[in-house]
Formats: sequence, C-alpha cells, structure tokens
Amino acid sequence: MSSDINIIYDMAEMAQKAAKRSGADEVEVFGLMASSVNVDIQLDRIDLARESFSRGIGVKAVVNGAVGFSSTNDPARIVDAAKAATSSASVRNSDPDWTGLPQACDYSVVKGIHDPRIANIDVETCIDLSMKMIDGAVSLDDARPTSGKFTCLESDYVILNSNGVEVREASTRIDGFIECRAGDGNDMSTAYEFDISRNHDIDFFNIGSEAARQALEGVGGVGVDTCKTDVLLKPNAIADILESTFINSLNSENVQKGRSALAGKLGEKIGADSLDIVDDGLLEGGIGSASADDEGTPSRNNHILENGVLGTYLYDKYTAGKDGVESTGNAVRGNYAQSTYIDIRNLEILYPPSDIIVETQKGMLVGSVIGAHTANPISGDFSVEARNSFLIEDGDIGSPIKSMMVTGNAFELLQNICGAGRDIRVLGNIITPTVKVSGLKIVG
Amino acid sequence: MNTQQVDFHDTRVLRSSGLSIFIDNGEIEQISNNYTSGTACRALVKGSWGIVSSDNIGDPDSMLFSAAKLSGQAHRISPRQDIELAGAESPLIHDLPVVEKDPDDVSIEEKVELLLDIHKRAKVRDISSSTVMYSESVTEVDYSNSEGVEVSYSLVRTGFAVTAVASLNGVFQMGRESKFNVCGYELFDRYDALELAETAGNTARDLLSASVPKGDRMPVILDQELAGVFIHEAVGHATEADHIAEGNSILAGKIGSQIGSSCISVVDDPSMHGYGYYPVDDEGVESRPATLIEKGVLKSFLHSRETAALFPDTGRPGNARSQGLARPIIRMSNTYIKNGDSSFEEMLSGIKDGIYLIGSRGGQVNPGEGVFQFNAERGFLVENGELTTPVRDVSLSGHTLDILKHVQMAAGDMKMTSGRCGKGGQLAPVCDGSPHILVSEATVGGSG
Repeated sequence: MSSDINIIYDMAEMAQKAAKRSGADEVEVFGLMASSVNVDIQLDRIDLARESFSRGIGVKAVVNGAVGFSSTNDPARIVDAAKAATSSASVRNSDPDWTGLPQACDYSVVKGIHDPRIANIDVETCIDLSMKMIDGAVSLDDARPTSGKFTCLESDYVILNSNGVEVREASTRIDGFIECRAGDGNDMSTAYEFDISRNHDIDFFNIGSEAARQALEGVGGVGVDTCKTDVLLKPNAIADILESTFINSLNSENVQKGRSALAGKLGEKIGADSLDIVDDGLLEGGIGSASADDEGTPSRNNHILENGVLGTYLYDKYTAGKDGVESTGNAVRGNYAQSTYIDIRNLEILYPPSDIIVETQKGMLVGSVIGAHTANPISGDFSVEARNSFLIEDGDIGSPIKSMMVTGNAFELLQNICGAGRDIRVLGNIITPTVKVSGLKIVG
Repeated sequence: MNTQQVDFHDTRVLRSSGLSIFIDNGEIEQISNNYTSGTACRALVKGSWGIVSSDNIGDPDSMLFSAAKLSGQAHRISPRQDIELAGAESPLIHDLPVVEKDPDDVSIEEKVELLLDIHKRAKVRDISSSTVMYSESVTEVDYSNSEGVEVSYSLVRTGFAVTAVASLNGVFQMGRESKFNVCGYELFDRYDALELAETAGNTARDLLSASVPKGDRMPVILDQELAGVFIHEAVGHATEADHIAEGNSILAGKIGSQIGSSCISVVDDPSMHGYGYYPVDDEGVESRPATLIEKGVLKSFLHSRETAALFPDTGRPGNARSQGLARPIIRMSNTYIKNGDSSFEEMLSGIKDGIYLIGSRGGQVNPGEGVFQFNAERGFLVENGELTTPVRDVSLSGHTLDILKHVQMAAGDMKMTSGRCGKGGQLAPVCDGSPHILVSEATVGGSG
C-alpha cells in the first residue's frame, strides 16, 4: 500500500480557494486518502481478496454562521463541490450561535497509530494472516468456521481551514473477524471473535481458536425461567448496550436539543460509586486516537464520569460555543463524504476489578447481545436477545443458555454496576472489562 | 498473469450525485451535496475471486490485471473448489421507473420550504423536538463482463423521514414515518407527507401515556410493518444462499419441506417498483420475482451466479447486490408475505389474552441458530377480543421456525415499508411488507 498525500493536499487547497471565491466567510476542507486490503473467508477457505483505493475531499463552507457541506472524489468536480457548499450555506438562516471554525494551534503527537509494517504489507501476507485465523478456527474438533473477514488499511488525512489550521496525519489499522459454529440441527451454537489494532500485533490464530471455543461451549443449551438476577455483561455485551443509549445521551447536541436523559445532570451522580468513565482522544495506539479531532480541535482526555458523577458532555466546536465551554475534541467523521458529527474517541470504562464470577452465587454471564440498536436511545430502555450466555452457580460457570432476553434501562444499569472483571478488552473505540450488574430482568 | 487464465471477469463503473437536507427542530441543520464516481473490476480464477476498486473512473485494463493477480494469489495460498457460474440469459433493461418530476428541477428553496412544513405538522402537543431528513440521488451504472454482457441504466431515488420526540416529566418517546422509493419528486404527490408527519407526532405523544407490558408467551398479532420486518429479518436472511453455503442457515436442506403454516407465502421481487428495485443485479442478471415460500413449503433460496450453480434446482441467480464499489453479495430486494383470506377483526375476536404489536424499531437475527429479536414501535394489549391498554418498549423474540409454524391467519391488507438493510458491512435499499398476521404463541419482551 502506498499513497501520496500531496495529491490530496492539492485537492484540498483547490477546494478551499474555490469556496472562498464563491463567497464563503470561512472554509474547512477535510481530505482523505486511503488504501486497503480485504480478505473474505467462507467456511475454511479464502474466497476473495480485494484491494481498494479511495481519495476525496469534504468541504464545509460557512456563510453568516450557516454551514453548507459537499464532497467529491472527482478532481474535475472540486470547483462544483466548493460552490455547492457555499450555496447550500446561503440557503440557511444565519446562526447567532456560530462561534467560528477552530483556530490554528499546536497539537500533541499521538504515539502508536501508524505502523509501517501495515503500511507496507503485501497481499500474500494478508492472505497468510487470514489463513492463521482459519487454522485457529479449525484447531478444536467439532467446531468449524462459517465466514470471516480480514482488513488492513492505511490512511492519510489533511484538515485545512481558513483560520490557518493545518493538520496532516497518517494512521494504520488491522482487524480480523471470524464466526464459528458447533453442534447441529436444533442444538447448533455459533460464536464470533474479532480483534482490531493500529499495529501489527494481533494474534490471528487466537481469534480463530477463541471463536471455535466459544461456539463449542454453547452446545447443549438449557432454557431459563423469567426472573431478576445478577447479570455479568461481557465486554461485547456492555459496549453494545451503552453505545445505543448512554453514549447517545452524552452527545451535547442531543442534550441541547432536548433528546438526552442526561440534560441538566452535570455534577449529579448518575453511576455507581466507584465507576469512572473517560474518553481519551490521545490514547496511545487507540483506534479513535489522533492529534486532532476531525475539525482540527486538539484531542484531549475527558473525564466523563468520576465516582459516578457526570463531569462533561461530548462537544464539538459549535455545541461548545453554544454552552460557553471549550470543545472536548469529539468532532469525528466516517469518511470524506460525511460532515463531522459528535461521537466518542476512545471511551474507557473503569471500575475496581475483582473475581466477579467466583463472587457470584447465582446469576447469568452474557457474552454478547443482539438487537442493542433497537433500544430507546433517549429513555435508555432496552430489550435484547442474549447470546453466548451461561448460568453462574456458586461462583462457577454452569450450563450454556439456549435463548433468553435481557431487559432493563441503561441509566439504571450504570447505577447498579457492582463489580468488574480483570478482562479488559479493546473493542474498537470502547475499552471495557466484564461488568456485573445487579437485578436485571431475564425473560426465558 | 494474463487474462487468458481468468475464468470470468466483470467491470462496474458508477457515477452518482446526491443531495441530502437535514432539518432539526425547524432549523436547517445540514445541506449536503455529493458527487462520486468509481470503478470496480472483479476476476475469477478457478475458485477464488479478486477485486480491485478505485475512486474515479480508473483504467479498467490495469485494474483487471491487478484483480486477476489477486485471485491468483488467493487461489495459490488457499485453493478452493472451482467455481462454476450459473448461466444467465442476456439481460434486457425494460420497465425502468419513469421519473415524473426530476428532483433537479425543484429549487433547493422549495424543498426546504416543504421540509419545514413537514416539521411544523409533526409538532403536535407535547412534541419537544423533531427532525426531517430528505435525500435524492441519481446513480448511473455501466456493467460489462467477459461473456459479452453490457448494460447501462440510471436510477433516481427520492425519500424523506420524519421523527418526532415527545417528552413529559422526564419520559421521552419517539414516533417515525418515512417514504423512500425509486422515483423523483412526485413522491410527494403520491404520499401526503404532512399527514405522515402528524402521524409521527401523534405516535410519540400517545406513547407517553402507554404502559410497559410484562414479558411473557402469548398470542400476538403483528401489523404489516412488523410482520414485514419479521419476514425480512428472520426468514429472508435464512434463504440467502451464502448463509446456506456457510452452514449458517436453519433453512439449509429444507427445500420442498413444510417449514411453516399453510397461510404463509413469501415472495422476493426486485422487479417491483419499490425501494428495493433494480433492473439487473450487480452481476448483470435480469431481475425476476422469486417465490421463497408457498403455502408454508420452502420453494427457493436467493442466489448469486456462484450459489445458483452450487445448489442446483433451488432458484435462479439475480440477487447479487453491492453498495457502491464493494463486493456483490446476496441480498433481498422487495420481500413480502402474500395476502391471506382472514381479516384483522377475525384475528382479534379469537384472542382472550394477547397483544397487538405495531411498527418496528429494527431487529437482528442469527440465521444459523434461527434466533431473532426485534422491537415494536408500540402496541395494544388484547383482552377478550378487544384492543385495550396501549403499550410501548415491547419486543418480540424467539425461533424463526417456531413462529412460522404458529402463524394462524394472514389478513388481506398487505402494505410495504421501505428501508435499508445491512449485511457484511454493506447497506442496500430494500422494501418489506405483509398483511396483518396472527401468531398463536410467541415470546414478548417487556420490562414491566
């Protein structure tokens, strides 16, 4: 993989000038260039290898405090795109809350987000790494892979704005995912495992063997009765539940627009006594780490919850201006064709660890959930199907559970956290151990 | 490697432009214009695929060469059984939707004005905020392959969604209505967007006073939208032949068997002018309706050319779709349960103690285990044949085959709902629909 960031820098400069000429007061251009290799696994074989190259720019033009956005990947349409952004901004009413694009400043260097071994990887190596994942998945008798994916990516981005902000940074990412099944007929069990990193340090064999082990453990599931009990939510499960509820409510835009149950709760205790949550845009090697956020505000480490007390919402430059605070550096975007939106960078859930399984007399261990995105993002009510779940009896993991639903409220859940494991996992931009929650409802 | 050693190759060139407008609480939050183009070349060497994709209209010859190299490398390291592709007759592009009002001919000011009106109508009593989203796009597709197929077509898609949030004493509830289709701005002549906005507002407001039911097993009536989600999520995905090939579908090996009650017949029809429409799929195969289930008997799977050859006599290819330049994978299009001969009233009258579930907040399914979960937008308890207490935050879960077996009635009031379906990291525009259906026993989740 290789790319020449100068091409994208030239495109960005051209767009900036064109937007200025068409009458924009302020202009921001985000340019992205990426190359990636994907490998698809079907059963125990590789069925596809893919290389893709993408580059393009996203233009924000500001007229009287109103923002217009456009994007293109076609060098011949840069001027059209810049003009479209300006004319879109002109359709909007002026916005008295606009406090300008970020100003030029110094940035910290983030370590561990670019690995030349990934940038220079060849397709054969990618295929070999994918094969290791398959080797792991077939290493246990009676479990077999169904499908999987390998991806590695190098991207360079540039942010230019008319206040003199100029950020350029390169990063890499590598990830593997595989799903396995075991058993058959009415007693089939499936499980997936994945790992993601900025660096070439993933144990691909282990991803496969873990998926296989979890699929095997699920065979012979039993039914459960409807009850309230202690539930241990493993990293995948707690991350999924919080993502569609709590994290949505931390977004200052939702708070300002009356769409967050956390509105008016700054300084209030909303979580368990020992619960800390931070969101760190500078975390070494973090999937969400960069020296700046995607509108050029320097990244920083924000204390969201300290001893259960809500410290801050997540802000970009605009919503921060509205609340009279500083941006927390949480403007992000998926790609150049999207404008910025507010989201977490690297959210870490911190709670004093202990041997939570041994400490649980009676409860359930939930590996992952399906349907978390159907939760009510505002009220926090959720009702999800638990997967890869087990009974816990007298401090031991017991029988696998065939099927059950877990229902509750994400905000009550934060208050009812009463333990955490030592098994901290990095799940992309959420970092969490298994979390023990008292009194969740199970529907069998 | 020269192209002589390549067993098959194809090229897709896409050009698209789009506009989206987002209104938040009556303010224009964002107007976004996008102009994109790109090329994807795909090559097959024995049993392995290679794809090279690039933004901009790349040089197809050199991309094809690289794609062939990739498939060669994959084949060398992980040899796979040779792929035969099912034959497909030369496609004809016909019956393309006719755009009556080109969205380009409507000024941005006029669009914004309509969206602001939609916002106002959604703001019924107790509505604290509302959002309105509008999108239009035109996509031109050129497809060609090594068998001499060459087709080009262009599709216009237009749609809008309105969401209303009601709040009272710290309780927040949401209502949403949307319409998306393969058409132009005449979408707003076909549907009364203002009335839909009011419906969304009323739904959110009514939910404030709805109660949260107790979870239990009980008889359930599903409305057209929720039954459509069920048939798409729980049944449709299990008929996708890539899941069958991966041993990850409960429907594997069940063609010809009775998998559900005789009131259930299911069709996937990409030639229907719904949001899931396409004239040819992304392998150049002309679209045709497929009967998946007829009177409870599983009739066919959904196929790409690769899987149609792998599982002969289980249906024809024509359902390979891709998002942009990604790899074509097997997808649904417009999927629905056919009308039955019962009525909603008849369903109600037979229930002593049950629930009527309406609308959907999405769902998820594990096609291998046949386990699904999805949330209804709202509902009513049914007591002694009558709709009584309104309910919210209620979900339906269980085993697909279990539900299919327990379908007792299908009404004659089929309706389609448009949306987007995610699979393998790709989104595809789809429609799903159904008449009201009665399930004699299902697991209803609720935290009450």
